[in-house]
Amino acid sequence: MAAETSAVPAQRHEHPSATLASRAARYLAALFIIVSLNFLLPRLMPGDPLMNLVGEEGYYAAGGALDELRSELGLDEPLPVQYGRYLRGLLSGDWGYSYLYLRPVRDAIALHLRWTLALVLPSIIIAALLAAVLGGLAAWRRGSRTDIGLSAGNLLVYAMPHYWLAMLLLFVFSFRLGWFPLGRATSGGATDLPYLLDVGWHMLLPLVVITAFKATYDFLIVRNSVVSILGEDYVLMAQAKGLSAASVLFRHVLRNALAPLVTVTAIQFGMVLSGALLVEVVFSWPGMGTLIYDAIGARDYPLLQAAFLIIAVCVLLANFIADVLYPLLDPRTR
Amino acid sequence: MQLTEHVRHNHVALAGAVLFAAFVLAAALAPLLAPHDPWAHFKPFLLPSTMHLLGTDDVGRDILSELVTGARVSLSVGLFSGALAVSFGVLVGLLAGFRRGRLDELLMGLTDVVLVIPALPLVILVSVYLGPGLWHTVLILGLVFWPSTARVVRSQVLSVRQSGYVEAARALGAGDGWLMRRHVLPNVLPLVLAKFVLTVAAAMLMEASLSFLGLGDPLAKSWGMMLHYAFARGGFINELWWWYLPPGLCIGLCIFALTLVSFGIEERSDPRLRRALDR
Repeated sequence: MAAETSAVPAQRHEHPSATLASRAARYLAALFIIVSLNFLLPRLMPGDPLMNLVGEEGYYAAGGALDELRSELGLDEPLPVQYGRYLRGLLSGDWGYSYLYLRPVRDAIALHLRWTLALVLPSIIIAALLAAVLGGLAAWRRGSRTDIGLSAGNLLVYAMPHYWLAMLLLFVFSFRLGWFPLGRATSGGATDLPYLLDVGWHMLLPLVVITAFKATYDFLIVRNSVVSILGEDYVLMAQAKGLSAASVLFRHVLRNALAPLVTVTAIQFGMVLSGALLVEVVFSWPGMGTLIYDAIGARDYPLLQAAFLIIAVCVLLANFIADVLYPLLDPRTR
Repeated sequence: MQLTEHVRHNHVALAGAVLFAAFVLAAALAPLLAPHDPWAHFKPFLLPSTMHLLGTDDVGRDILSELVTGARVSLSVGLFSGALAVSFGVLVGLLAGFRRGRLDELLMGLTDVVLVIPALPLVILVSVYLGPGLWHTVLILGLVFWPSTARVVRSQVLSVRQSGYVEAARALGAGDGWLMRRHVLPNVLPLVLAKFVLTVAAAMLMEASLSFLGLGDPLAKSWGMMLHYAFARGGFINELWWWYLPPGLCIGLCIFALTLVSFGIEERSDPRLRRALDR
């Protein structure tokens, strides 16, 4: 899960001349490396590349026609030719066939990705708001009991594997108390408003876990940046002007503390998305996590490759969006 | 204020170190502490009793013995991959910071790319191809977790290089090797230590996630593997909480302990943070 557990995220490597265009070029380079990795892995890893490309089911489904399948996929051609073929296929939407879902990989991904985003995007926003309020409060009253209580509680939630917390919540609130469903995203049958309410009811527990997961990271960042901002001259000035504590905190301090949160959210987008995958498995939520879990069980390699690719693209996009947004939030960088 | 903060944080770091040391000790003494052979078969699905404090699993193995033995697997994967990742990161960071120029740009470009690639899906893909095996996991995690160390080491090297005393030493004819030993390493070491502690935590969590998804080594059962079996073989659905709660709690407590330790090291070594806390 956590690629970066550091409480204080590493500063981005920033060239002085880094403009949006050069950042975009960087992301394109990253995309190129990711795509190439995806191409090379099944061909260089141990085992028959054919099996690595079509998955176990596909391999055995082909029966005696393995050689035909091999040449159909171009595996007897030199690597550069295969690479060209692979890129063309990727661009034209031919991502292979999933024998697990009995449909093209692209369709299986499209079906599951939206459920994951429906879970992750609201969680990120709620987590940021929650962390801004709690982190701001802890920093404002640093050293107090409130601060110590909040920080310690935060650290405990942060340390526990969040999919394990998901199991705990499901055990207490669904198995024992029966307040929430046992899993999945809908009970089926309903449409319109009842459908949305039903989905919301199914969504609440996974949403809580992912929000808590993300908020524990945000809390530390907000708290640390607010503590350092509180020492700035303009905060002293604002206090000297006689502004109320709330006004100083919300209008002067939090505003400046939130800009780093956007960058951090982008950097950690991959981590939160990955974290959500594991939570989905616990709740049998029909998103990318459950898809990946099932694909691992069935050794459906095309599906796993496409999942890696699409999640990586989502992360790159999130980073690019954050780069566009950042100057709007922090006037100093305009 | 200054003094109490300092003492309090050192206490916190010490508590973390003691907690983690307890887990390491338990792992080291696993054969003595485990009440039964972790591979021995008893009756399946036994409830907790004096004979089996945490009951038995679906094939009749004593869960407490598995838990104690699992500490060895989880901790060693974390420590080995942490050591591998941090050594690699230090190497890249020192090279980039010292050589600068083309090599620096190339290495930092690579660091940026690896940082932005979502780790879990990549690690899943590679593990699926490589097949289960503890060393596979160590290798993969080592290759994923080096960039943040490289970044920190590089920026520290750059700032040390630009400081007045290094300029002075250089003017007196000091070579790269001497500067590295005398000035750079002592400055970088506490940060590297903090990074190592955090990387071990990250690696332990990642190993647990991988194993939870069913990609662990069935012959060396880690805490993550126990979670996997409890989840996939009915322990969870049947509310056998003594099966799946303890391994998750152990993982969490280790991460908790390591995080406390890293806070302590970071605060001691980062004067900016110390000042911010003293205010």
